[in-house]
Amino acid sequence: MIIAERKPMKEILEMISGIKRLLILGCRGCVAVCSAGGDKEVNIMAEAISLGREQAGEPIEIDRDVLVRQCDPEYLEPLREKGKEYDAVLSMACGVGVNFIAETCPDIRVLPALNTTFYGANLSSGEWKEMCAGCGACILHLTGGLCPVARCAKHLSNGPCGGSVNGRCEVDPNTPCVWQLIYDKLNSLNLSENMKKIMPIRDWTPSGEGGPRRRLREDLLP
Amino acid sequence: MAEQAGKIIGFCCNYTTQSSAEPLKEAGILPEGVELRRLSCTGKLEVSTILEAFNKEKADLVFVAGCPEEECHNFSGSRRASRRVKYTKQILKELDIDPERVEMFFVARQETEPVVEAAKEMLKRLEKLGPLSRQA
Repeated sequence: MIIAERKPMKEILEMISGIKRLLILGCRGCVAVCSAGGDKEVNIMAEAISLGREQAGEPIEIDRDVLVRQCDPEYLEPLREKGKEYDAVLSMACGVGVNFIAETCPDIRVLPALNTTFYGANLSSGEWKEMCAGCGACILHLTGGLCPVARCAKHLSNGPCGGSVNGRCEVDPNTPCVWQLIYDKLNSLNLSENMKKIMPIRDWTPSGEGGPRRRLREDLLP
Repeated sequence: MAEQAGKIIGFCCNYTTQSSAEPLKEAGILPEGVELRRLSCTGKLEVSTILEAFNKEKADLVFVAGCPEEECHNFSGSRRASRRVKYTKQILKELDIDPERVEMFFVARQETEPVVEAAKEMLKRLEKLGPLSRQA
């Protein structure tokens, strides 16, 4: 899922400076699962902003709402009109939601309450880890299911580099070297021969280096 | 006890105090200016509820009194509450509000006295910090 985290309150208060009517809009998709922008977080944000503005002597009127998702047009449709009642909408969705509101609701000023960080897995309650970079050219079948694009600091296709020491990454010794993990995994699967194959120079075009990506499936189009 | 200017709200569970605030005040046990909110478990308490106590209920300080960490009736309720208090402290700090205005206490179960002690500790803080500034 997409992992995000709340922006510092000072940044948010500065962002909404001068705004008198605000809609805080949560999302029940990924950001609710990673406890950044769901129902609970909307309530916390509303109370925190209200308290911060009261401290500053600038009261603010806040409404709260949470959509099933902010990345699908059907859920955003009511916002096109409702949003006009407010000076701004503070979206607690990932950057996709913020972009989509900006694009589909032309009369609305939308602001981001979160920093969208990565695609990750939930390791335990309160702990998330990056596992995928959305590079558009998956090679996991060659690497024992472990991704060097997302999990190697240098995104190496042929690792490990010389900085892998005792199974740790030279960039951050707290991070396991993913190429060591790949080697161990392939060994355990009797596929260590894979390590000897040299991967070709990577084409980064599908990763977004060739501009914003778009996917089309004609069989699903309206 | 002398009356304090200011308001303190304390969240307790059914196990840390078996009485509401009024009888305790009438008996002269609980200081003036302190309100108690009893919950089935402090683990039920949300960060937004603590902030709401400062916000809508105009509390100057808030405390949470939960069971001792290893003796919570619901296993991890008071531990959860203490983490939420910690997160509330972080938010207060980001808002330039002294994080000492909210505190977690682990108190013995089925006795009123430790909760009253927690309230007195918060009263001392109120003397030190003064009321929460409200310009609006």
